[in-house]
Amino acid sequence: MAAVKETIDAVAALEKYAHGFTSDIETEFAPRGLNADIVRFISEKKGEPQWMLEWRLAAYERWLAMEEPTWAAVKYEPVDYQELFYYAAPKQKEGPKSLDEVDPELLAVYEKLGIPLKEQEVLAGVQGAPRVAVDAVFDSVSVVTTFKKELEKAGVIFMPISEALREHPELVRQYLGSVVPVSDNYFAALNSAVFSDGSFVYIPPGVRCPMELSTYFRINASQTGQFERTLIIADKGSYVSYLEGCTAPMRDENQLHAAVVEIVALDDAEVKYSTVQNWYPGDPATGKGGIYNFVTKRADCRGDRSKVSWTQVETGSAVTWKYPSCLLKGEESSGEFYSIAITNGRQQADTGTKMVHLGKNSKSRIIAKAVSAGKSDSTYRGLVSVHPKATGVRNFTQCDSLLIGKECGSHTIPYIEARNGSAHLEHEATTTRLSDDQLFYAQQRGLNEEEAVALLVNGFVRDVMQTLPMEFAVEAQKLVAISLEGSVG
Amino acid sequence: MSALNIRDSSTFPSRRVEAWKYSDLRRWLREAPEVSSAVAVSGDGPWAGLGGDQLAFGNGAAAGADAFVGSGEQVLRLRFVSETSGTGHTAAARISARPGARLLLLESHEGAGSGYVAHNRLEIDVAPGAEVTRLVLVEEPEDAISVTEAEVRLGEGARYAQTIAATGAKLQRLETRIVHPGQGADVRMDGVYALSGARHVDLTSVVDHQGPDGRTSQLAKGVVRDTARGVFQGKIVVQRGADGTDARMGHHALILGERAEIDAKPELIIYADDVQCAHGNTVGNLDESALFYMQQRGLPADEARALLTQAFLFEVIDRIDHEGARERVREWLGDRL
Repeated sequence: MAAVKETIDAVAALEKYAHGFTSDIETEFAPRGLNADIVRFISEKKGEPQWMLEWRLAAYERWLAMEEPTWAAVKYEPVDYQELFYYAAPKQKEGPKSLDEVDPELLAVYEKLGIPLKEQEVLAGVQGAPRVAVDAVFDSVSVVTTFKKELEKAGVIFMPISEALREHPELVRQYLGSVVPVSDNYFAALNSAVFSDGSFVYIPPGVRCPMELSTYFRINASQTGQFERTLIIADKGSYVSYLEGCTAPMRDENQLHAAVVEIVALDDAEVKYSTVQNWYPGDPATGKGGIYNFVTKRADCRGDRSKVSWTQVETGSAVTWKYPSCLLKGEESSGEFYSIAITNGRQQADTGTKMVHLGKNSKSRIIAKAVSAGKSDSTYRGLVSVHPKATGVRNFTQCDSLLIGKECGSHTIPYIEARNGSAHLEHEATTTRLSDDQLFYAQQRGLNEEEAVALLVNGFVRDVMQTLPMEFAVEAQKLVAISLEGSVG
Repeated sequence: MSALNIRDSSTFPSRRVEAWKYSDLRRWLREAPEVSSAVAVSGDGPWAGLGGDQLAFGNGAAAGADAFVGSGEQVLRLRFVSETSGTGHTAAARISARPGARLLLLESHEGAGSGYVAHNRLEIDVAPGAEVTRLVLVEEPEDAISVTEAEVRLGEGARYAQTIAATGAKLQRLETRIVHPGQGADVRMDGVYALSGARHVDLTSVVDHQGPDGRTSQLAKGVVRDTARGVFQGKIVVQRGADGTDARMGHHALILGERAEIDAKPELIIYADDVQCAHGNTVGNLDESALFYMQQRGLPADEARALLTQAFLFEVIDRIDHEGARERVREWLGDRL
């Protein structure tokens, strides 16, 4: 039971928010605020083609005409969009060719966060240990992408999206905005106008990506929004597992993170997308500061028998607004959503998924576990819809919520829309608190109350943990324990 | 109660209003209809023979009193009769049960004519320790629009049980809002619907648990055929401090037509931790293996299907405590399958 031991150790070495340090790195900013010139500034900084600038400006125009959504069960101070910096980049030499050219201060940040940016370090581990290629995004730009050479050999393209715009413009142009249209929602439109970086992945037909790909997002500069854009294309018969991690410094201001992730899965392709989201959640007592995480993630399973699996562990952010979804267009395509959302302190999370069944015999599975503690609020909001022409659709949904304490809230709001007689949809949800009997039992065996809670909660979320790649699962278990610090007693 | 006023078209909700997402009243009703004239209510309605007093409305107008106070053991037939074409009317009734009363409220919505708009408002007060069983049979023309809103307030230790049986209309919505004090009060809130053609029914409910130790049990089931559309929106709220709440909700529907539709939104909104709350929702079609089994035993396919459908829906009816009334609902529904 190494994992249990890990959890207990994590609790024993409780830290409040381990990644809350700030780094004093010389940063280049765009002028404060947002207007068409800022959009041009970002596009020019990235050396983008004219069509891309036009695309951004059109998105900006749409955004101006849209209203910020208010339907989510979250309350927050309105964002002043003119007070933010939309571009912040650590100053460095033009396009570092290797790690040696990257600012050592910057590398130190990643070392502190435990992100392996040096390929040899990754390899220096135990023989046969899984390797992970990393794209590190610092504020608005990607600072380094590892293992590019080796991936190229397999034909896999893994690079910052700004680079992809230069090197593979035809691919980007074909797919960008094809899953999440610019006017999809307020935050997606904003992202489309001002996104500065993110990762681009293309897996060629029949290729099983030789290693896990990951992007690590770090917000460092203050009063800065992070707007990254990720585009993953899995061509016919390919497979990729992609990991995403996020952290930010502790500040008593609210920072905005409005990302867009688009996934395209063609015939027989499979994409596994895992997120461990650990943005700074704000001060647990006062609720001051923390990240507003307003993210649009969507997968387009357009190929027959394609499959996309979302796994998310949401422990951070002051406010979360996030619904990773699957458009199941292909016949026999399948979508999965596994989620753990843990809120403590004054955090608010409104998260869930949409499974839109358009293809015949498409399948989906949703397992969502929410744990609320402190004065936090957590909402599962999900949609399962079946198109009239989609025969033989199956869905299974399970939402379980656990409440710890008298002042938190937990809500389940599923929408089920069935428009075909052959659909089989099942949804079940439960809300309970930690069992006194189980707590008592664990404490009798010598665990203190916090250890016992961490142990039981890890048991509660186990179904989802098991779907995470191994190195993430260990990290996530520790996070569960840390996130619940101070929730009992 | 909602602000809906059928004489003022600006109060007609569209699907942009979250609570009316699946029942777009504005789509079917753009202008306020002409006001219906009162009609006399004759006969005893579908609850005939079960005794009791009667409170009746003919095209919205009360034939006599519009309120009833129950004490002791009583039966009341509450009849909303619409007999008009193309006009609209609103009926408002108040029912209360004194402490210790046991009231069997037999409600019927009887529609004749066509294309009318009926709006019914009902307030039900159940005093501490009193018991009200509300059974509702709804049968209206396929081009009628009707919205029935019931607001129920319960005292400590009160018992409230409700079963709605509906066959839909162009748009038929039955909305129940219950203020639940906890304190040993007990709510059973059921519904059953059988729709065909292009009929639409919407069973919407909110049970708001405001105090500790309350119980709610909800079961809704329905079948839809042809291009009919069944809507279930159930919300259970457990307020801060309403510990010890035990709330269960289930909605299960069969889609028996290729182009029929089910929309469901079972919500749990929970602010207390010492609770047991659960909901389940399923949508599917008849069990092929059960059908096969019955055909093997010599039942024609149609009969086997009818039998399975009936068994599926009657589970809701079986939860009615009053034997005579239960049999009446069973017959009523059986005739309409």
